[in-house]
Amino acid sequence: MELRVLLQEISQRDGVSGFEQLLASYLSQQFEVFVDETRTDHLGNLIMLKKGSKGFPRVILCAHMDEIGLMVTKVEKGGFLRFTSLGGFDVRTLPGQVVTLYGTRKVKGIIGFTAPHLQTDTEKKKSAEMDQLFIDTGFPEEQVKELIPVGSVAALQRSVVELMNQSCAGKAMDDRAGIAVLWQCATELQKLTHEADVYFVATVQEEVGVRGAVVSTYGLTPDLGVAVDVCHGNIPGAQEHQVSELGKGPVITSGPNIHPVITRKLTTIAKDYRLPFQKDVSPGPTGTDARAIQVSMEGVPVGLLSIPLRYMHTSVELLDLDDVKQGGRLLAYFVSSLDKNLVEELSC
Amino acid sequence: MEALLEKLTKTFGPAGSEETIRAVILEETRPFADDVMTDNLGNLVISRGKMDQETVLVAAHMDEIGIMVTYIEEKGFLRFTNVGGVRIETLLGSRFVFRNGTTGVIGLEKQKEKKDPGFSAYYLDIGVRDADEAKKQVQIGDTACYEPSFGRQGRRVMAKALDNRAGCAVLIEALKALPRSLPLGVHFAFTVQEELGLRGATPLAYRLNPAYGLAVDVTRVGDTPEPEYKMGVSLGQGPAVKVKDSSVICHPAVVEKLKSTAEKQGIPYQIEVLERGGTDAGAIHLSREGVPSGVLSVPCRYIHSPGEMVDLDDMENAASLLQSLLQEPW
Repeated sequence: MELRVLLQEISQRDGVSGFEQLLASYLSQQFEVFVDETRTDHLGNLIMLKKGSKGFPRVILCAHMDEIGLMVTKVEKGGFLRFTSLGGFDVRTLPGQVVTLYGTRKVKGIIGFTAPHLQTDTEKKKSAEMDQLFIDTGFPEEQVKELIPVGSVAALQRSVVELMNQSCAGKAMDDRAGIAVLWQCATELQKLTHEADVYFVATVQEEVGVRGAVVSTYGLTPDLGVAVDVCHGNIPGAQEHQVSELGKGPVITSGPNIHPVITRKLTTIAKDYRLPFQKDVSPGPTGTDARAIQVSMEGVPVGLLSIPLRYMHTSVELLDLDDVKQGGRLLAYFVSSLDKNLVEELSC
Repeated sequence: MEALLEKLTKTFGPAGSEETIRAVILEETRPFADDVMTDNLGNLVISRGKMDQETVLVAAHMDEIGIMVTYIEEKGFLRFTNVGGVRIETLLGSRFVFRNGTTGVIGLEKQKEKKDPGFSAYYLDIGVRDADEAKKQVQIGDTACYEPSFGRQGRRVMAKALDNRAGCAVLIEALKALPRSLPLGVHFAFTVQEELGLRGATPLAYRLNPAYGLAVDVTRVGDTPEPEYKMGVSLGQGPAVKVKDSSVICHPAVVEKLKSTAEKQGIPYQIEVLERGGTDAGAIHLSREGVPSGVLSVPCRYIHSPGEMVDLDDMENAASLLQSLLQEPW
C-alpha cells in the first residue's frame, strides 16, 4: 500500500475517543506484515512488537489513534439530539457538518442550528454554544430513541481532499498522521537492522486526557519512547513562534517534557541522513502522549516528533504528505541507531 | 435504607477528615466482612469472597465537601477556604459544624460592587468574643462541614452529603444482602478525598490491582428548571449507568454488564452522559495497566449544596442492581 492511500483510509475511518476498536482492528491488519506480536490491552491500546536483534533497548513509538468526536446526551422532543464533545472542538466549526452516529446501527445526521432569518439580534452577534446545536437524523422521535440512545457516539464525516503538491486535508489527521508516520517507520525498518525491540503503540483516549498512554506505558515499562503527534502549521495571523512550516519536514521538540538526549539524537540522525526537519520548543508539559510517558513508573525518557498541520480539531486538517514520509524515515533511522550506549547516556 | 442514609449523612467527614465517618461505616459493615483493611491514606476496604481469584473493586467515596479555617481574626471571626467544590452561592446563612461540635454561621462583608464576591469576602462566626475564645474551640487547619439536616417528603430525601453517602449506603445495603458464596472476590471500598481529585482511589486501586472497577456515586439530573446541562437523567427513574463523565469513558463491557443485569432483573435504569464532574472510576481505570471500569450512579439534585436530594426508589434499585451484578459471572 502507498502511504498516501493508507493515510486516506485511516483518516476516513472513525475512531472517536473511547470507541477505537474498529479502527484498531484495521490498523493491526495494516501493520501485520511488519511485526512479530500484536495485542490489545484493557483500555484498547493496540500494541505491536517488532523484535530487534538484541532485544535491547526496548523502545515505544506512540501515536494516538483516537479522534475528537461527539456523544449524545439527550433526545429532545421531535427527535433532535443534544450532544457533548469527546475532546476539544471549536463549537464554531460544528454547524453544517455531516456526522456518522454509532447507535444500535450506523445512522447519518447533520448538525443543525437556527437559520439566520430566525435568529434574535443577540444570537446574530454571538456564535452558538454547544447546547444550542443539535443533530438531526430525519427520523421521528420514537425511532431516534431506539436507534440512537443517549451515550451513542458520533464522528464527523469527511472524505480526504487532495490539494496541490503533496498536501491533503481531512478529519482526524490529528493523529492519524502520527499513525501513518509509525507505518512508514515500520516499512523503512524492513530495510534496516536494529538491536532494539520496537513497540508500535496506537494509543486510545489521548484527546480526553492522554489516558491510553498512561496505562500502555506502565504495561510495557520501556527504556525510552517517542510520541508522534501533530503541531500547528503556519497560517496568516498566527505568531511565528507558535507554528511550523508545511513541507519543511517533521518537527523535533525540546523542552522539560522531553529528554534532551533524545532530542539531540533525533537531530543528529536527521543531519547525518540529510533528512529535512524543523525544531520547536514546548515550555510546559506537551499536550501529547509524551506527557504521560515521561512520568510513568520511575520515569521514561521520551522524545516528541510532530507533523505540522493547519486547522487543528476541524474536519479539514491540512498537512503535507512529504512531512509524514520524512517523519517515518527519521524515526526508522533513529530506532536503528539505538543501542546500549544511548541508554547509558540517557541516565547521565 | 432511610435510617441508614440519615445516619450516614448526619456524620462528620469533610475530605481529609474522614475518621468519624469511617468508624460509622466500619460498625455497619464489619459483621458482613471476610476481611477489613484500612490503608495508609485512610481508605476503608471491606472484602468478601476469595481474593486469590479475579477481584472487582467497588468504590464509593465517604468524604464530603467542606471548609477549612485559614485565619482567626482578632474579634474571633474565622476566615476559611474551600475543601472540594463548595458553591459560593450556598454560603451566606449556611451553618457549618466542626468535628468537636463547634457550630458557626456564615457572614458576608458589605459589597461595594455587584459582582460575585470570592471566598475571601465571607467569614464564619462561631459566636465568640475574640480570638482567644475562638482558639479554645477551633484551630487553623480545622475542617467543618454543613450542619446536618435530614428530611423526607414522600420518597424523596433532602440532606447534606448525599454526595456521596448515598453511594456508601448503596454499597452497605448490597453488602448486607449478598449471599455467602460469590463468583469473584469483591472489595467494597469507602474512599477518602475524592472531592479533592480522586486522591484516595488512586493508591487504593494500585494496591488492590483489581480485574474490574466500579464506582458508585451521585450524578446530576436534567429534570429541574433550566438545568445547567441538558441531560437525559431524571430523579426517580432508576439508577443511572454511566457512559462518560470528565474523568472516564466507561468500559463498554462494564456498561453492557450493568445494563443486561438490570434488564434481567427487571430493575429500571437510565443511561447517563455527564458533561462535568468525575468519580473514583477516573482513577481506577488508569491504574497500572488499565482496569475496565464503570459507574453506577444515583441521580441527585442540587449537588454540592446543604440540601441535596435523592429518591429512595432510585437508592433501593441501585442497591439491588449492585447486589445482582456481584452475583453474575464477569
